[in-house]
Amino acid sequence: MVTLDTFVGAVVGPAQLVPEGSRAVVFRRIYEVFLVLGTAVGVIVIAYMLWKAWKYRASADHGDDADRPQLGELPSGGGGGRKLFLSFSLSAIVVVSLISWTYLTLLYVENPEPVQDEEEPLTVRVVGHSFFWEFVYPNGESVNDQLVVPEDRHVRLVVTSEDVFHNFGIPELRAKSDAIPGQETNTWLLAEETGTYQANCYELCGPGHSHMTATVQVVSQSEFQSWYQGMGNESANDTAAAMDENVTANDTASALATPTPTGPSPALTTPAASSATTAASTQALPAPPTPTAAPARHAPTATRHHPEVI
Amino acid sequence: MTRLKLYTAIYVVLFVSATVQVLVEQAGIAYETALAVILALSFVKAVIVAGYYQHLRWEPRSLTYLMGIGLLAVLALTVAATYSITP
Amino acid sequence: MTDDPTDGPTAPTDDGAASSGETDHDAERARADGGALEVADGHAQDEHAMPPTSSLKRWFVTTNHKDVGLLYIATSLSFLMLGGVLALLMRAQLWVPRAPGTGPLSAMAYNQAVSVHGLVMVFWFLSPFAFGFANYVVPLQMGAKDLAFPRLNALSYWLYLSSGVLLFVSFFQGGTFAGGWTMYAPLNLPAFTPSVGGSAAVLALMLFVASVTVSSVNFLTTMHRMRAEGLTLRRLPLFSWTILLTVWMMLFAFAALLAALLLLSADRLLGTTYFAVNGANGALLWTHLFWFFGHPEVYIVFFPALGVMAEVFQTFTGRRIVGRKWFIAAMVLVALQSFIVWMHHMFLTSINLEIKTLFMATTIGISLPFDLMVFSLIYTMVKGKIRFKTPFLFSFGGLLLFILGGITGVFLGAVVLDYEFRGTYWVVAHFHYVMVGGVTALIGGLYYWYPKMVGRMYDEFLGKVHFALYFVGFNLLYFPMFVAWETPRRVFDYDPGMTAWHQMATVGAVVLGASFLVMIYNLVTSAYRGEVADEDPWNYVTTAEWAVSSPPPLENFPGLPSYARGTLEFLGGSSSALKTVDDDAPAAADRGTGAATDGGAPATLDGSEALAASAHTAEEVQAGEDHHASHASVWPFLVGVGALLLLLGLSGFTNATWSEGAMGTAHQASTGVGAVVTFGALVGMAREQFVGPSGPYGESWPFEKVSNMKTGMWIFLVSDVVLFGAFIGAYVFLRFSSGWIAWEPIPDNVVPGLINTYLLLTSSFTVILALEAAERESRGGVVASLVATVVLGLGFLGNKAIEWEHLFTDKGIWIDSGIRESTFFVTTGLHAAHVVVGLLITLYLILRAWNGAYLDDAAPVEHFGLYWHFVDIVWLFLFPLFYIL
Repeated sequence: MVTLDTFVGAVVGPAQLVPEGSRAVVFRRIYEVFLVLGTAVGVIVIAYMLWKAWKYRASADHGDDADRPQLGELPSGGGGGRKLFLSFSLSAIVVVSLISWTYLTLLYVENPEPVQDEEEPLTVRVVGHSFFWEFVYPNGESVNDQLVVPEDRHVRLVVTSEDVFHNFGIPELRAKSDAIPGQETNTWLLAEETGTYQANCYELCGPGHSHMTATVQVVSQSEFQSWYQGMGNESANDTAAAMDENVTANDTASALATPTPTGPSPALTTPAASSATTAASTQALPAPPTPTAAPARHAPTATRHHPEVI
Repeated sequence: MTRLKLYTAIYVVLFVSATVQVLVEQAGIAYETALAVILALSFVKAVIVAGYYQHLRWEPRSLTYLMGIGLLAVLALTVAATYSITP
Repeated sequence: MTDDPTDGPTAPTDDGAASSGETDHDAERARADGGALEVADGHAQDEHAMPPTSSLKRWFVTTNHKDVGLLYIATSLSFLMLGGVLALLMRAQLWVPRAPGTGPLSAMAYNQAVSVHGLVMVFWFLSPFAFGFANYVVPLQMGAKDLAFPRLNALSYWLYLSSGVLLFVSFFQGGTFAGGWTMYAPLNLPAFTPSVGGSAAVLALMLFVASVTVSSVNFLTTMHRMRAEGLTLRRLPLFSWTILLTVWMMLFAFAALLAALLLLSADRLLGTTYFAVNGANGALLWTHLFWFFGHPEVYIVFFPALGVMAEVFQTFTGRRIVGRKWFIAAMVLVALQSFIVWMHHMFLTSINLEIKTLFMATTIGISLPFDLMVFSLIYTMVKGKIRFKTPFLFSFGGLLLFILGGITGVFLGAVVLDYEFRGTYWVVAHFHYVMVGGVTALIGGLYYWYPKMVGRMYDEFLGKVHFALYFVGFNLLYFPMFVAWETPRRVFDYDPGMTAWHQMATVGAVVLGASFLVMIYNLVTSAYRGEVADEDPWNYVTTAEWAVSSPPPLENFPGLPSYARGTLEFLGGSSSALKTVDDDAPAAADRGTGAATDGGAPATLDGSEALAASAHTAEEVQAGEDHHASHASVWPFLVGVGALLLLLGLSGFTNATWSEGAMGTAHQASTGVGAVVTFGALVGMAREQFVGPSGPYGESWPFEKVSNMKTGMWIFLVSDVVLFGAFIGAYVFLRFSSGWIAWEPIPDNVVPGLINTYLLLTSSFTVILALEAAERESRGGVVASLVATVVLGLGFLGNKAIEWEHLFTDKGIWIDSGIRESTFFVTTGLHAAHVVVGLLITLYLILRAWNGAYLDDAAPVEHFGLYWHFVDIVWLFLFPLFYIL
């Protein structure tokens, strides 16, 4: 039996017991260790089970018949306690050390050490609405359904919701957080490659849940700067659209969503603005019906404009 | 007959301590102290009612433990949930 | 609140009953070893009072634990079909990624299918299926003739069925609940899920919880109080152990769920703002309350499966379980710890890092005992003589699947991984491996006990075919979900790259569903054509259900079961009594006396040696045999009907208004009729003469000196402690969230509250006086004290009404004005409802006391007092929290 440390060391590299870096890297390292170890344990235990079951099948006529359970006896246990405790202790050691190891990673993920010479992380406020995402940048400008972030820079996401419980997640960047009305949750991401990713909603939020996605654009730092400077005036659209040329037409449509000028408080979003967004995000979807119109029967289309009613 | 006297005495104690709770609030002492004293009084009253009116004092201890477990469960819920709030 | 387990203030059905059951007929017999023929006669008479199983009427009036068990199993299997059909609809929708508005289901229909599939499988199938076995087998295993409160057991069943019917009806009330089985707030409010059916589903779940609470009280009283002599808790068979722990967890967990559902119903029906978007912290409050229930629920549904595995492994390997006491200790640890792990479902919410660390630690802690249990089961096979019959195949398969579920669960214990798995198919796959793994073992249990229940063997070949299809279908369905784990949950527009995996899963779902058709065909046809089963069709069984005929006679045993000499013996019986008199036993005629078989079956002794070893006296044994228990009552069924109508009607009440037009009228009518029927049936049940099983039978730890009724009452009160505790906890949580100090009490004047404190304290005193008077046999004293209690209680309610009126009209506030108002009116309102129920019971007591009841037996007055003083104690906390501080 290889000891845990050597095993872990072999997988994650001896230099660094606790994986650090982007969330995607951290996740992959831990996931791989768990997958390898989990598969090994599963195979061993199940193989042992099957082997014993086969070996002691009735037709094989193993063992003696002297001490079999009798009808009406008071329940009692069979022998073999030592082996039981040995296996138990072994499994306990594996599980506890694995989880302790990931706990160190958790501490890192919860509070990543700032890299030297790095600029302040970019803070974006993510607001869930039924059924679209709004991204509010530090300059107070907001964009619907498209998150533009620079590569190689920590991005802090402050996630909340305007109506029901959502969950904002970008699977490829391994960033995820609950979007809870009246609460703010924090997460961060570090994108190491430019490109287009997809954000999903991971908590059932109503008829539009399946299609409550957003595009995540990771662009170079300079591209980001020019896009960010241009936010709020007309040319921003062009920049966003231009930036999207290498992306599919659908995403372009989504990028065309007019950055709605709202204050830091998303509560000020006007009904008109969100309607416009809905129309825009609709085009981004593969099929014509709008997410709110499709689920015909009880789509609470009215409620989303009146969160204060409730 | 002695039991009846005991029950009556307990009734008087409960009656008075309920009044004391209100007086403590109006005495103008610090809020935290008042809160502690008032809740402690409630707890004492609850123990007296359970112990004497519900006869737990004379019942097998198992019933007391049973109630204790229930209380512990909701205390765990309340304390942990409240503690988890990120300000 | 109709889940009062006190059986109403009827005469106690325990302790005294054994001696009071003497009739002229019994008095003729002086000898302890009385004639077997007469005993059989006695049973036969009971049989006549009870319609035969072929009569439809029997199934509406039966209170017998075996009948109720069969009803549970049959009903839960029909809900399995409902949940399965919903699952197949979902899998059809998931055949390819769907754009909005395409596919067989609309988005809303898909959400309904997802939500109700979860609700039905977890609540209406899994637990009741296990409880079918629990009902049937547990009293047999522990040597009891029935549960302590047979009518409450029937009531549990009828409330369960009513709740299920209401859930089914909710589909046709403008669509059922569509907010997921976890019912996260604020999506669960009418603002987002406005259909009447949504409310109906919530109310249905509440009714289900009422059923579970009644059931928990009943099982706990029975299992602690009525075990056979020598059957200490340490010696309890493992299936009974798992049920005992399950029921304990149920008592606490479902009380918390009841609190959550009452708050949700208040929000939906009355318009309070606990979970509203703009509330203090309602969304998180819901997750706390729900998961405080939800995590123990995982073990509540899995433990019985573990018990089945333990029994089936022991029988079919011919070995006693390895490390039995550690197995039990591990389960006890899990049961306790299950209440302090709930926040691991909330790692991505705004809870702080300290609490995440704590709950990560407790979560790992709870996984370790399961390692021990799994190893214990595996090592039990070593040196065994394993027979691969259908029950063993299912149990073995279930363990295998559970191991996979457990390993993938460890992934989730690592918080960093959990962050990414949250809301994905990893979670879906994991908990299906765990929970449906449990179902697999339970199906093993169904095959295992089928011959006992039906008296005929199932077809072994078809059983194996079922297993093969089931196991292949299961893995084809759930394993691809691990591969396609990046798919977000409850989404039907997924990454097209995963289509193949999802199609594989859909095929698996069809295979898994089809396998159940084989099972149903097998079980139905075998009931008529199967080979006749004798007492013990398996060999190497140990537990008492296999010592009696298949199916067992109405009162289970041919004598008083006792383990005083280390093995099961029936005191005072005779072998001929073992012959079943149940007319649905096809084997009855083919069977001999059946006392001794090759396995060394327990002998039925007629006194002497066994009796000498027993602590029972001959008189006790005789009294037990002559005790004529009742087995039929129609009232539980009627309470179920009333509750169904009542809640169906109430579902049309949203934000304090009835739905418009004819439907509104229909809803109001249903509410009215339902209330009358429920109340009438409860009164009928209270007035009915019903003799419960005699008992205790020997072992009653730890409630030896407390009667069944009193034990039941206390256990019910514990669940009420948790209910009120959760309400107060919700208040504390919300108040902290919005700033403790700034939160002013709603009443501007403390005096009405203080007066009410005085009134309630005084009423507690008068109830004590009533008990004293009853013990001193003073009829006038009892009546006067109880009348004083009613007057004081009415004073309490009147004072409260004046206070509320003042708040409503003069201060212009209403229950929906804000979270402060909501917590005040809902919490004190729940308390007021308890007062109303108490007063109704008091009125009933006064009527009976007027006619001279309670003078020879003050117990009902005492039991009512326990409830009333509890209501008093609650007020002692509500008063300072809501008036002073």
